[in-house]
Amino acid sequence: MSKTLTKQKNKSSLVVKTLIYIFLSFLAVIYILPLLWVIFVSVKDDKTLFVSPWAMPERLMIENYTFAWTAGKLGTATLNSAIVCVVTLVLCLLIGSMAAFAIGRLRWKFANVMMTYFLTGMMIPVHCILIPLFTRFAKMGLTNSLLGLILPYLTLSLPLTIFIMTGFFQGMPNELFESACIDGCSIYKIFTHIAFPLSKTGLFVTGLMTFVANWNELLLAMVFISDDTKKTLPVSLSKFVGPYNTNYSQMFAAIVIAIIPTIVVYCCFSNSIVDGLTQGAVKG
Amino acid sequence: MKKKLLSVILSVAMVASLLVGCGGSAGTSASGKASSDGGVQEITWMFWDDLDATEDLISKGYKETVDRFNKDYEGVYHVTPITTNLEEYYPKLNAMVAAGETPDCFIVSPGPNLDVYVDPGVAADLTSYLKADGWMDTFNGGEGAFSQQTYDGKIYAVPLNIAAACVFYNTEMFASAGITEMPTDWDGMLAACQKLQDAGYTPITISAGTAWCLSMLAGYLCDSEGVDLDALNSGKASWLDSNVVSAANKMVEISKYFQPTAAGDTNDVATANFYNEEAAMLIQGSWAIAQINGANPDFEQKCGVFAFPGTGGRVIAKSDSLAMSANTKNPEAVIAFMKYFTDDTAQKYTAEVGGKIPVTKVEYDASKAPAQLAYVMDVFGNAKSTFGFYNESLASTEAGSTFDDAMVSIYLGTPVEEGLQTVEDFYKNNVWNK
Amino acid sequence: MDKLLRDKKAIILFVAPAFLLFTFVLFIPICQSIYYSLCDYNALTKPVFIGLENYRQLFTADKTMRIAFKNSLFFLVFSVVTQLIVGLILAALLTNIKKGRNFFKNIYYLPCVLSSAALGLLWMFIFTPKLGINQVLAQFGIEGPLWLMDTKGFIILPMWVIASVSLWQYVGQSMMLYMAQISGISTSLYEASYIDGCTKVQAFRYITLPLIRPMMATAMSLNAIGSLKFFDLIFNMTEGGPNHQTEVLATHLYQQGFKYFKYGYASAIGTVLLVLCLIVTFIINKFVKMENYEM
Repeated sequence: MSKTLTKQKNKSSLVVKTLIYIFLSFLAVIYILPLLWVIFVSVKDDKTLFVSPWAMPERLMIENYTFAWTAGKLGTATLNSAIVCVVTLVLCLLIGSMAAFAIGRLRWKFANVMMTYFLTGMMIPVHCILIPLFTRFAKMGLTNSLLGLILPYLTLSLPLTIFIMTGFFQGMPNELFESACIDGCSIYKIFTHIAFPLSKTGLFVTGLMTFVANWNELLLAMVFISDDTKKTLPVSLSKFVGPYNTNYSQMFAAIVIAIIPTIVVYCCFSNSIVDGLTQGAVKG
Repeated sequence: MKKKLLSVILSVAMVASLLVGCGGSAGTSASGKASSDGGVQEITWMFWDDLDATEDLISKGYKETVDRFNKDYEGVYHVTPITTNLEEYYPKLNAMVAAGETPDCFIVSPGPNLDVYVDPGVAADLTSYLKADGWMDTFNGGEGAFSQQTYDGKIYAVPLNIAAACVFYNTEMFASAGITEMPTDWDGMLAACQKLQDAGYTPITISAGTAWCLSMLAGYLCDSEGVDLDALNSGKASWLDSNVVSAANKMVEISKYFQPTAAGDTNDVATANFYNEEAAMLIQGSWAIAQINGANPDFEQKCGVFAFPGTGGRVIAKSDSLAMSANTKNPEAVIAFMKYFTDDTAQKYTAEVGGKIPVTKVEYDASKAPAQLAYVMDVFGNAKSTFGFYNESLASTEAGSTFDDAMVSIYLGTPVEEGLQTVEDFYKNNVWNK
Repeated sequence: MDKLLRDKKAIILFVAPAFLLFTFVLFIPICQSIYYSLCDYNALTKPVFIGLENYRQLFTADKTMRIAFKNSLFFLVFSVVTQLIVGLILAALLTNIKKGRNFFKNIYYLPCVLSSAALGLLWMFIFTPKLGINQVLAQFGIEGPLWLMDTKGFIILPMWVIASVSLWQYVGQSMMLYMAQISGISTSLYEASYIDGCTKVQAFRYITLPLIRPMMATAMSLNAIGSLKFFDLIFNMTEGGPNHQTEVLATHLYQQGFKYFKYGYASAIGTVLLVLCLIVTFIINKFVKMENYEM
């Protein structure tokens, strides 16, 4: 009796599992197809793109890539983007989680006020601060330098970091902190030795989100940087958009090149999130 | 424990030093500027296309001009281009003006876009430079060449080239549909379209997805109905007057000859339809020549051009123009630089390679130029007068876009009067009451 | 313990860097921008103070503003609801399978790491009647609609299309946030529940959901703010057209500020957007968060 029951249960769970996998695979196709198409377009030439957008290219146009790389100066651009985004990322995670720790864990009157203050930062449309910020930075000689990009990127990333990290710190068990306190830890040590390392998944998620946002940011970079040797990747991608027509194939080639670093970073980060999953969590 | 405290303090100090670093870099960049003032006169030129990655032939020509200038004036003048794409061009230019860092020289479209820089005195008066050493006389038509750039008798920008809006057509399709005479009036145009359709061709490819393309046709129709823009801008005429209504009706009338996907096609797609021989006619500016011949070189022989019919010899023309910052420290360098754009080498390139109409009286080799340019030159030469793009001739940039959008919505099925009412309302609220 | 957590010096040290940066780079400029919203200002000439005139025009005379407002609200509701549901379902499914979890998660998150400008262009291509899916549909004899140009109905088709694309792009983000939070839930809780005879669905309902509630509030607020400020995809797919029918607040702001140089007026739209974001975040936090659960 009980045997048949488990058998039935196994059977039904097998059906459910299969259904789940079918559903997930179907979604995966919706996700992959358009992205494959980007790669597909990047090896076509502009002419056949409009005649037969879905047909296989007659010949792989690898020169789209070489042209994109040299004419778009993508090497320098990638380096600039990397410098800006990595510096921003490191500073943002450090400064952001410090503030989040103070807001989420320390006890003071204005914690909520401070949180609201930072939160408004996420709501500010970047278009609104563009001209005031540019004018200010121009007076300080900060335009046309990577530092002039790092500062606004860092600041614009802070609210999100603080917002998410506060949630993580608040979600940590009280006992952890209490026991550390009994051991005679200072508040700084609690932060650096307990709270910070334990919020690893949170750091990875926010780090990924801010890195990606900054990596793709166009408007500020376009307005703040004039010097060709200091341009970032998104600005370089837009080089292929002409006043009357766009070099689609070459631009898509450039897009593919620009995507690769994000995917590398993404794989490093996302697997760490999975580590977190397997360490602590649900067993399926 | 103390060590950890130290590390936190250090991290704070790092941020602080970063902020202090700002001040430091401010100092260096300022001194960098100062040193350049002594020897070589450094100027900046702002442009709306990247000079290396572009495939636009006119932009490539500009790059040659820049290189030539920097080489010829080595040690005296040096120009650094600042490039963006067209989308971010005006935001960036405006931000630079607001911050007091106006580029010494910048490209701009005549019309409301130029007004914006002339009115507050951002652009410099160039009249004296143009008249000084016969520079102006090299231009076709002398002072007349500057009509779109002149405000109260003062010239604020120098045109570099002219593009004219024409009807490009596929000669093979026309021949096989039995059309021997190019249409010269509205009924002729409709008859030609009908013949083409009967012969199984798509008569016209146009883009309503890119609003200004459809608006170009609408502009021609309005002008041929005798719509008077000055009267409209000053409030003496209304957008609901019968001539505007009849122009819009004409657009609806001819829209049945558009390709079926016109509503969603972008400019790139609509042009591709033409050079891939999927449609017989394309109404476009002459900058499309380079695009057409570049994408399908074999098509050059089959491509003819005629003036938009029924306008009484009036042609839509558009020019790129250069303006100089009123605050530039090196006006001589800027003027020398501007002259490089209108010298014979640059103007020859404009015609022979770029496929646009030169602004000066340069002699160029017509055999080198794209075949279509000769036809466009004919159209332009036979024109009794020219007028600007409607979206660059109305009271403001926004008025132009409102017109474009109204035309698209009429094409998509909004009743004519209702569509025009939106333009009328915009003028009531924003133009006539000021 | 309590004393340690009330250490004033530590609090200041922790918050100061973020606070200073924030104030200098964001707060002061936005105050300036709010001042501009009371001015006639085109960035080229000095601002002229005109009081609330910009706001009066915005709320009484601007037809595009009405459309933008409607579209933004639609967008807000659509993305908050769908992202919550789809994000949670994906997170729950993925935490419950072993094989291919990484694979699926990576794929669903992939569009989040790509620039929405590039993706907007890609989707614009796909919905172009000449090139995209309409050609595929035509193979089956179906005449596809004008995906991005149809203007019939209260919420027009292009808005549904854009909203779906944004769901496609951003649902991975919600999924990731939920997965990260679920990973923090102790396994023993689930084991105990299974011993008590809970099914997986029940465990999800009674353990996972309540415990990730703070993260739900976080993710929903992020979605809400993100959808109100939504710009890149729309701008690259339709530029607010045809005839402003797909305009949202952010694109309207951009057009007014950077296409027509009405910087003061654009700042007024920005201020409205800011206030709207504040209200929505307040509501979400009021009704979803309620209290902090201790794990």
